[in-house]
Amino acid sequence: MKRRGRGIACMWYPIGFTVAANPSAALVKVNEDGTATLLTGTVETGQGSLTVLGQIAAEELGIATDDVHVISADTDTTPMDTGAIASRTTYVTGNAVRLAAGKAKAILFEVAAPMLGVKPDQLEARDRKIQVKDYPQRNLAIGEVANHAQVVMGQPPIGAASFNPATVALDPETGQGKPFSTYVYATQIAEVDVDDETGEVEVLRIVAAHDCGTAINPMLVEGQIEGGISMGVGFALQEEILFDAAGRQINPNFTNYIMPTSLDMPTIEVDIVKSFDPTGPFGAKGVGEPTAVPTAAAILNAIHNAVGVRITSLPATAEKVLAAIKAKRAPAPKRIAARPRQLGR
Amino acid sequence: MAHKTEIGVREQRVTQKTLHSVDETLRLPAVTPPVTYPIETLVPQVRQQTPAVGQRVTRPDGRLHGLGQTRYIDDLAFPGMLYAKIKRAGIASARIKRIDTREAEAMPGVMAVLTGREIPVNSFGPSLKDQPVLADDRVFHAGDGVAAVAAVTEQIALEALDKIKVEYEPLPAVFDPLEALKDDAHKVHAPNSNIYATKVIKKGDIDKGFAASDHIFEGSFRTQMVEHVPLEPHAAIAVWDPNGRVTIHSTLGRITLGRADISRTLKLPLNRIRIIATIVGGNFGGKNEITQEPVLALLSKKTGRPVKGVFTRTEEFIATTTRHPIIMDYKTGVTKDGRILARKVRLVLDGGAYCSWSETTLGKACILSAGPYKIDNLLAEAFVVYTNKTMTGAMRGFGAPQVCFAYESHMDDIAAALDLDPLDIRLLNAFEEGSPSPTGQVLQSVAVKDSLLQAAQRFGWKEARK
Repeated sequence: MKRRGRGIACMWYPIGFTVAANPSAALVKVNEDGTATLLTGTVETGQGSLTVLGQIAAEELGIATDDVHVISADTDTTPMDTGAIASRTTYVTGNAVRLAAGKAKAILFEVAAPMLGVKPDQLEARDRKIQVKDYPQRNLAIGEVANHAQVVMGQPPIGAASFNPATVALDPETGQGKPFSTYVYATQIAEVDVDDETGEVEVLRIVAAHDCGTAINPMLVEGQIEGGISMGVGFALQEEILFDAAGRQINPNFTNYIMPTSLDMPTIEVDIVKSFDPTGPFGAKGVGEPTAVPTAAAILNAIHNAVGVRITSLPATAEKVLAAIKAKRAPAPKRIAARPRQLGR
Repeated sequence: MAHKTEIGVREQRVTQKTLHSVDETLRLPAVTPPVTYPIETLVPQVRQQTPAVGQRVTRPDGRLHGLGQTRYIDDLAFPGMLYAKIKRAGIASARIKRIDTREAEAMPGVMAVLTGREIPVNSFGPSLKDQPVLADDRVFHAGDGVAAVAAVTEQIALEALDKIKVEYEPLPAVFDPLEALKDDAHKVHAPNSNIYATKVIKKGDIDKGFAASDHIFEGSFRTQMVEHVPLEPHAAIAVWDPNGRVTIHSTLGRITLGRADISRTLKLPLNRIRIIATIVGGNFGGKNEITQEPVLALLSKKTGRPVKGVFTRTEEFIATTTRHPIIMDYKTGVTKDGRILARKVRLVLDGGAYCSWSETTLGKACILSAGPYKIDNLLAEAFVVYTNKTMTGAMRGFGAPQVCFAYESHMDDIAAALDLDPLDIRLLNAFEEGSPSPTGQVLQSVAVKDSLLQAAQRFGWKEARK
């Protein structure tokens, strides 16, 4: 019989390296027509980080994301970056990009101020325009300013900057210190069906509420969460590298190492928790790794809720769950009937 | 006229088809089939994409992915390019007595063979430099590479691997992390201890905390070894040019560290190494350090030709890092209404044969092991030990998914014993704005309670509990 259960798990996760310096640098060039090129040493590994970095540069320059071309991951041409690791790209590289774009923008403001008859600090960049704060009718197209800066004033609008999160080394004996600049938080709730005759677990639904600071691109945050949950499902129920007695892997292939497929995926409901981190670019923190953290815990708590067994070792395979269910049922000693049953004729 | 054109097109198609079948038979770099797709792209209007932050803008690389036009490493080919394959030890702990590569070198189509002894500095690693590029003297786990071949086709390279004769002297081995902790256990990297890193987080006084507790709960949990399983395996192409400069197209996720490691292993100044990372088909932590890059670079140097290496799925499992299995013991003292007064955590991480990112994983697992909860009295101790198994390293979460499984399972057990709602016990103990973390850091922009309440609301938690 299938029994339904629900389980909750919350978590916290840091952004960036533990104490160790993990800087990022970035370079932003504004072209004569107001479009821009961003150079970053980070690597796009499928998560959409270059999109997010482009959005951060665009926001700072007041232009559209598609106006920013991003060049990445070449040690000869792009500035130093610690890389796509430790959920740090949006926060650390993002901060460097924002600072670099801000420096290019400062050159544009310096050039635009006399053209608009105001001081540079009275200006803001918005909707591909450089305009006077609180008097947006007085404005210039950003392309016009960029062209003037480069062609007339001889000041090409280029900005370079770097960022490294602030940490304090840990005391070697007590571990006290500030290992990370900031943390994110999340809760996932899983709903499962456990078949108490076979031990099979089906994850029906996962609700995921994640804090990532400002969501620079909510669609990509959702993508990360969905991907993280699929990894979490595999970690909770299916995946395991097995070794023989001589220390050789016996299932290094997809036939015997069972990954979740689209058919194993539950319905996922994503909530992005409203939050703002003043140290992040436009309040953003990060979301990459944390999405894979609470899933297994939530599923295992849901199994416990469904059939009352606590699986203490992952993965909770059907065999393991069934064995636990059998062990839990009072092992009533086998009784031998006092009279032998009469066999039918 | 129309008739003639028709024939022309058909002939073209037939030629394309023949070309493809020839490519496939010879396993040559495929001729990219002609694709027709809209060249025009839309220029966004003002306010469609401004302000940029918070917009669900589509990815600039999305169009290429959607059209199948993204070039991953295996889609790249250079004139005269060779294919490299690495021979894996298949024995977990041994001394290499002899490697005979003569038969392989004599094979037609084999352009070069490389062994560990030819690597200028045969060790690397993000913290401890304990990992050889190719095993030279000792084998520490079954997935260690012992020799590499560059040949004109992948098939010839694979056949050549079988012709390489390696003579091993088997050595004792240890596979269980708890066994490896014992004093009399086989030392994986003798004379060094198997425990290669430890971490302690101490806060308050746990003895006092436990003494003041109404109930004390204990729990033990363990997790398994898993792989990152990216869609794209580790892949790289090395091109050694006549100026003595090497360009490596690679799936590395961290090109800065990668370049430093390649510089060290090749004994080459940093400015003579160029790493170009393409769009990577999934990393999840597994592509944060070099693997075959120095091997490909040296094979390219030996042959004067570009050399490509793409790991098989099996190599992804046996020869790249995996997630740390952790054995986790928890002891928690609570008041009768469920407030946590003291917690003691002991973690033993299975580090596999090499350190890799174990120190980082150990540190993060230890710091995060208490959970997002206000606990005044805490002692968390963590150890990572060598075993003769596949090395464990960075993987999405750096130890956090493992400890989260433990502290959240433990939390539900405590809630059940005290007859509390699992949501309520979490809300009672969760961090708030300004709470001190286990390392004494004052936390800011804390959203754990918000996330708990928001998830519970969306799920219908309270309704479901009735």
